[in-house]
Amino acid sequence: MIGAIVRKEIREIARDGRFRVAAITVLVLLVAALAVGWRAAASAHAERDAAANLARSHWVNQPAKNPHSAAHYGVYAFKPKTPLSFVDDGVDPYTGVLAYLEAHVQNDFTHRPAADGTALSRFGALTAAGVLQVLVPLLIVVLAAGTIAGEREQGTLRQLLSVGVRSRDLAIGKMLGLGGALMLLLIPATIIGVAALLVGTDGSGSGSRFLLLAAVYLGYFIVWIALSFAVSAWAPSTRAALICLLGLWMVNSLLAPRAATDLVRRLHPTPTALEFQRVMAAEQQADSTGRTYAQYQEAFQREVLSRYRVDSVADLPVNFAGLSLDASERWSDAVFDRNYGRLWATYVRQDQARSLFGFAFPFVAVRALSQGLAGTDFYHHREFATAAEQYRRHLVRVMNDDLAEHGKTAGFQYMGDHALWSSVEPFEYQTPEVGFVMAHHGRDLAALGGWLVLGLGLALVGARRVRV
Amino acid sequence: MSSVFGRMLRHEWRMLTADRTVWLVSIIFGLLILYAVGNGVSWVRSQEVVLDSVEADGSRRLAQLTRALDSIPADAPPPAAFGRDPRSPGSVGNFDGAQFATLRPQALAPLAVGQTDLLPQYLRVTMRSKLTLAAAQELENPSNLLEGRFDLAFVVVYLFPLFILALGFNLLAAEREGGTLGMVAAQPVSLAAHLGAKVVVRGGFMLGLAMVATLVGLLLNGALPGMPPGKLALWFLVLAAYGAFWFAVAVVVNAVPRSSAANATILAGVWLLLVVVVPAVAGTLVNTLHPMPSRVELIGAMRTASNDASARGAQLLAKVYGDHLDLAPSGAMTSADFMSRTYAVQEEVDRQLAPLADRFDAQLDRQHVLAARYQLASPALVASFAFADLAGTGPTRYRHWREKVASYHEAWQQFFIPRAFRHEWLDASAYPAIPRFSYGDESRSEVLRRVGIALVVLLLPTVLLAGYSVRRLKRYQVAV
Amino acid sequence: MLEAINLTKSYNGTVALHPLTLTVRPGEIFCLLGANGAGKTTTINLFLNFVEPSGGVARIDGIVASERPLETKRLLAYIPEQVTLYRHLSGLENLEYFSVLGGQSRYSEAELLGFLDHVGLDAAAARRRVGSYSKGMRQKVGIAIAIAKKAKALLLDEPTSGLDPKASNEFSTLLGLLSDQGVAVLMATHDLFRAKESGHRLGIMKQGRLVSTVAANEIGHADLEQLYLQHMRD
Repeated sequence: MIGAIVRKEIREIARDGRFRVAAITVLVLLVAALAVGWRAAASAHAERDAAANLARSHWVNQPAKNPHSAAHYGVYAFKPKTPLSFVDDGVDPYTGVLAYLEAHVQNDFTHRPAADGTALSRFGALTAAGVLQVLVPLLIVVLAAGTIAGEREQGTLRQLLSVGVRSRDLAIGKMLGLGGALMLLLIPATIIGVAALLVGTDGSGSGSRFLLLAAVYLGYFIVWIALSFAVSAWAPSTRAALICLLGLWMVNSLLAPRAATDLVRRLHPTPTALEFQRVMAAEQQADSTGRTYAQYQEAFQREVLSRYRVDSVADLPVNFAGLSLDASERWSDAVFDRNYGRLWATYVRQDQARSLFGFAFPFVAVRALSQGLAGTDFYHHREFATAAEQYRRHLVRVMNDDLAEHGKTAGFQYMGDHALWSSVEPFEYQTPEVGFVMAHHGRDLAALGGWLVLGLGLALVGARRVRV
Repeated sequence: MSSVFGRMLRHEWRMLTADRTVWLVSIIFGLLILYAVGNGVSWVRSQEVVLDSVEADGSRRLAQLTRALDSIPADAPPPAAFGRDPRSPGSVGNFDGAQFATLRPQALAPLAVGQTDLLPQYLRVTMRSKLTLAAAQELENPSNLLEGRFDLAFVVVYLFPLFILALGFNLLAAEREGGTLGMVAAQPVSLAAHLGAKVVVRGGFMLGLAMVATLVGLLLNGALPGMPPGKLALWFLVLAAYGAFWFAVAVVVNAVPRSSAANATILAGVWLLLVVVVPAVAGTLVNTLHPMPSRVELIGAMRTASNDASARGAQLLAKVYGDHLDLAPSGAMTSADFMSRTYAVQEEVDRQLAPLADRFDAQLDRQHVLAARYQLASPALVASFAFADLAGTGPTRYRHWREKVASYHEAWQQFFIPRAFRHEWLDASAYPAIPRFSYGDESRSEVLRRVGIALVVLLLPTVLLAGYSVRRLKRYQVAV
Repeated sequence: MLEAINLTKSYNGTVALHPLTLTVRPGEIFCLLGANGAGKTTTINLFLNFVEPSGGVARIDGIVASERPLETKRLLAYIPEQVTLYRHLSGLENLEYFSVLGGQSRYSEAELLGFLDHVGLDAAAARRRVGSYSKGMRQKVGIAIAIAKKAKALLLDEPTSGLDPKASNEFSTLLGLLSDQGVAVLMATHDLFRAKESGHRLGIMKQGRLVSTVAANEIGHADLEQLYLQHMRD
């Protein structure tokens, strides 16, 4: 019975001229988006690889100089493109692509690609994620609005019910039929996506992410199919079903996300750069207990002297400048940890609050999950920024330690050399495992799961209520 | 006939007001506008607070420096090379005296946030290379930036068409399905006139609603008094032209007998195409066909040039002094020459990178020209650009300001760097001569010209669609 | 007053109306009889220019409907099977609106109420919203619209189907009154009895052709039924 319904639905939809036009349009857009995204990701990847190599060679080929000068010279960290960013480039256009890693300062990631873009970029770019999140649900809505209401209007529902179809079979058959028709479009797109991932520069380890991504989108489409079926069963006419579903679609993908963003920003305001820098500058002068930096350094000096059991800096077996610089790093690191920690905690609170809206609007949940799985959400950015900062601290510490150890006699005239520069291994970064995504997007996953249950439940209830 | 048309208008008004969904839709629309305006006003106010404090900070620094200068005795030793000293050009020009160039929001800024959340609205100007200006940015959660602001321009560009289409998707189709179309079509009134009356009433209603809600929103937020009436009128004109376009789309779809469900599908498709798909494709095309040279590469090249120049630092400094004997300090070389060498290196880096930086700027210019051209592909883009222009939050004003900042930065360097080379200490007479930034805004006529073009571009398809609909309606088959 | 000369209509190659030549004089009531799809409604739609003719002309008072539709509609009144009115407006308001559209904008409220009273709707009923009307009441408003318009020709498409015998009878009486005032009436109907009672001439249509025309007073009820069924069988 169900099989017959599925076959009839697929056949009917596939013969529908509107479906063909819409499906081909969506498929073309999807393929174009994948191609453009893949190209952009590949070229960005190559470019950042080359830049990272260049930065490394700049570092190791420094002429002989004082290690602290070398720490000031520093290196650049370039944010890598994740393998799946060609599907969903997420917040990448709005995060800086590079950070200058130097002594004393934790610099923010600068040069957001969107800031160099035109005003067009704020309308959103053509991405596969955009097509899947926005266009495919619209296609579902348009196809499914009449699935019951239309049969009622044509009078075929009378026939259908008179032969004794069970309501559950009807619901399952209709939904599978819609899904099947949709697969005509989505399977080729998925194959292209897999191919792009395999041809991509480094897709290794992205397999599970890709599978989960596909599962998330599948779940999202099932939600829409089920909702559309339920509305069509309940609506008095195709027109009413269509208007209702179009309204849902627009609120879900257009109105709600912006309104949610606005609200979370009001709940957890982002500080201005000016304010952020001012607080940080003040904390560099004195910490929360009122202890000044000078006092801190004095205390540190006393502590060092007592540790080496000597009375003056001159008697120390090591170069005190190196130790003092290291101490100053620890002082400022604490300031950075506090301030960036606060800032990022604000962002996380904003994102988590936004995720609550996912329970009311599935688009919000799916977008967050998609960005997470593609590795292009804020959490991944923070992870990378943290790794870059750890590397900076490591590099500066190696320089300061070397200065402390070897600079006893020569002081600032002491020169480090190639061997010292090379002793700092290059900055390597591994995109976190899938577990990282799941840990940060539990709320979004729960929201999508909730929608799946609700959607299918509504569809079954709707099917039971189907009357001529 | 005109009195008949007047009666038709009255009739349509009654039909419109008798419809409860119309009230629901207009209340939602009005509330969205009120919210968006309030949102915009609060955003601009917070921006003004920042800009005020930034400007006050600049003035306070200079005042502090002047006071500090006064307290230095005439026979004090010259400033140390690395120390902070109100007499040292390097210390003042790079750190203590550094000024901010600000871009103040214009009166209509609360109506369209534009790119002001993404692009820095103030820049710290120092003696350092102009490439450092490009790194400035405001703090914001990237997820928030991705979403964009809920401002009036968003409500108008994205949602206004939807409300229009909700009122207009079944202008004739509803009467056909309800059966009254036959009764009406049997009367000696053309369908074009019948449809015209519907559009005039609904269009007037939506436009009036949008205008009143905007004005009320501004009034409630205390922002109405400062509004220039001329610009506000232009804003409403663009709003009207954009609305007229969407009504024309609804009319054209209604000019062919179809079910209202089919009309709704078609109109949703047109909306999606013009408001979502075309802008995204246009943006992607600009970036794909004319990609920006990479910032990442630029940074690498800067490093290479800087290494190269640093290696030749002493040589470069000698060259500076050789080329400009007037810059050579009198007396023996001091540790201040280390700083001079830094400036010489920086000048050399800037000189070497000039072609690359110029290429970057040229490409950016080309992209903006292209974006201005590609916007013609969709009325949503045209309206959005026009709104941003009127609000002073558009790309053209921003780029104009960045140019002014660039020349201010040059003047700043011109003031401090030669003094640093000469080891010429700043004195009381030098302070008032320190360049201050003031932004003479873009010329008004330039803005008017762009908005005028936008109006023409919006009205042209509207007129064509309306003309086509009138012709098509003559062949409308009431019965099939 | 109403003239069809070789009037034809086909949809995508399917002929809905074969060349039809027909005249309805002022004051005459002409009834078109026939099964569903015989071409009755098509004929009426062609006079209204609701569809474009594939050939021939439909003229009202000598004016070709497809050429100057707004002029011919000034002369016509139309009552469909379902007189559909604006549900949110009262019968009176509907009548007023359609009168204005029909070019009669100077009626006072008393005059409009008079028209409604004439067709059997009292003032209380006339002020109620149409949403609460029965079909018979709506058909009456339809006739009032026709009367108020001072139309010279009346096109009726199954106006009495679904009406109870009493309402149907009242309808016929009103029709007679209009015809007495010189209005040409073309009525499509299934109702042989009603056609024989109120019509002057009867035309039987079959598969897009007018196969037979008889004068109502020259044929008895039984003969008419016989004739009709005979045509349907062939």
